[in-house]
Amino acid sequence: MYSGRAFGRLRRVINDAEAVARARDGDLDAYAALVARYTVRAHRAAFLLGAGEEADDVVQESFVKAFRHLARFRVGEPFGPWLLRIVANETRNLTRSRRRRAALTLRLATAQPGGAAADGPVAEVLAAERRARLVAAVGGLPARERQVLVCRYFLDLSEAETARVLARPLGSVKSSTSRALNRLRGLFVDEQDRVTNG
Amino acid sequence: MADRGSWRRELEAELRAAGRVVAVPPAPDLTGAVRQRLAAPARRRRHLPALGTAGSRRGMAWRAALAGLVTIGVLLIATPQGRAAITGVLRFAGIELRQGQGPTPGHGRGASLPGVRRMTLAQARHRAGFPLLVPAALGRPDEVAVSGGGRVVSLIYTRTPHGQLRLDEFAGHLNMLMFEKFIQFAHVTEVRVNGSKGLWLTGPHDLIYINAAGVPVAASARMTTGNTLIWGTGRVVLRLEGRLGTAAALVVARSAR
Repeated sequence: MYSGRAFGRLRRVINDAEAVARARDGDLDAYAALVARYTVRAHRAAFLLGAGEEADDVVQESFVKAFRHLARFRVGEPFGPWLLRIVANETRNLTRSRRRRAALTLRLATAQPGGAAADGPVAEVLAAERRARLVAAVGGLPARERQVLVCRYFLDLSEAETARVLARPLGSVKSSTSRALNRLRGLFVDEQDRVTNG
Repeated sequence: MADRGSWRRELEAELRAAGRVVAVPPAPDLTGAVRQRLAAPARRRRHLPALGTAGSRRGMAWRAALAGLVTIGVLLIATPQGRAAITGVLRFAGIELRQGQGPTPGHGRGASLPGVRRMTLAQARHRAGFPLLVPAALGRPDEVAVSGGGRVVSLIYTRTPHGQLRLDEFAGHLNMLMFEKFIQFAHVTEVRVNGSKGLWLTGPHDLIYINAAGVPVAASARMTTGNTLIWGTGRVVLRLEGRLGTAAALVVARSAR
């Protein structure tokens, strides 16, 4: 049904692999295509991994570095995850250079203006409150645990991808995940049991 | 009460749901700034500023330098001269519209969203990470599918006066991409739906789903049918697709609740 011929009309414009190949040869227009395409994703990752308000700077720096490292990019590799590794590294450099290791403030996007949530069913309001506290608790975790949870559950990366993006051994990713989940469990799961059982 | 694995699975599911609604500030447009830095001599290379103030000021300067940035409620990124077709990007409510070639579609087997599961409307309401809307004008959907672990809910209407219609819904106000569309911008017009801005896209175009990691899912690539209306309610973004005209699409959109 969705056969390749339907795409013929548009075929003259470049895809990621072609853009990378051209950018590697110094074609800045081709690279601009990749920047435009991946800015939102890179920015989300940078913000959630701890760059906070400096995510814009981190992402710009990452794109500049990625361009200069394109020679190391393996043909056929997806560009997105490769870029995320650079973004994670830049974020780490930034947070390391900060004097204080401030916790990341995470909130929910749906702060409901006009009480839209208040009109909803009680269960929905309670779920939203719980979610808001959960997100805040993730932001308050130690950085190494927080980053793993962000990769695994907020960026939906696999354990292997998380290890790659964060440049950490797989075993370390697994143990940090367990430790962080146990910590959150102490805060949330027991509370839920009390509510449902009591 | 619960066994060891089950609390963990529940907590993981909760974290994923929370990740869908976590606040992320809007992404900047960096094409101009990055291009400028790469075009400049290498001596202008510098390290990241250690703390916010200098960096933010510089950030503002970059943004100010982005000549040609046009805002019409949605964002239209300025394109480097001579190759507009490559970098034209229009972002609207979790959907990115690009002028250019679509992704290579799957192997002709018919595209689908990842982890797609058919279920009842009630189950979908429970599973979705957002309040589901159903257009009264269409009645009950013939099929309901939830994909991406609750990120997208699709209502399929197989028999309508306009043939088959498809309504995809996902959480609104996210700084997260859900879909990319490949279309000539001449085929995109702005419309009003219930007092808010919507986009009306005429003619089939290529569509691909973006997963939570921001990676396009190749198996989801397909060409749409008919026309498409995209609009939002503040909490939910909807895209209605099928062989219907603007007026009919707007009637459907206005009846969604």
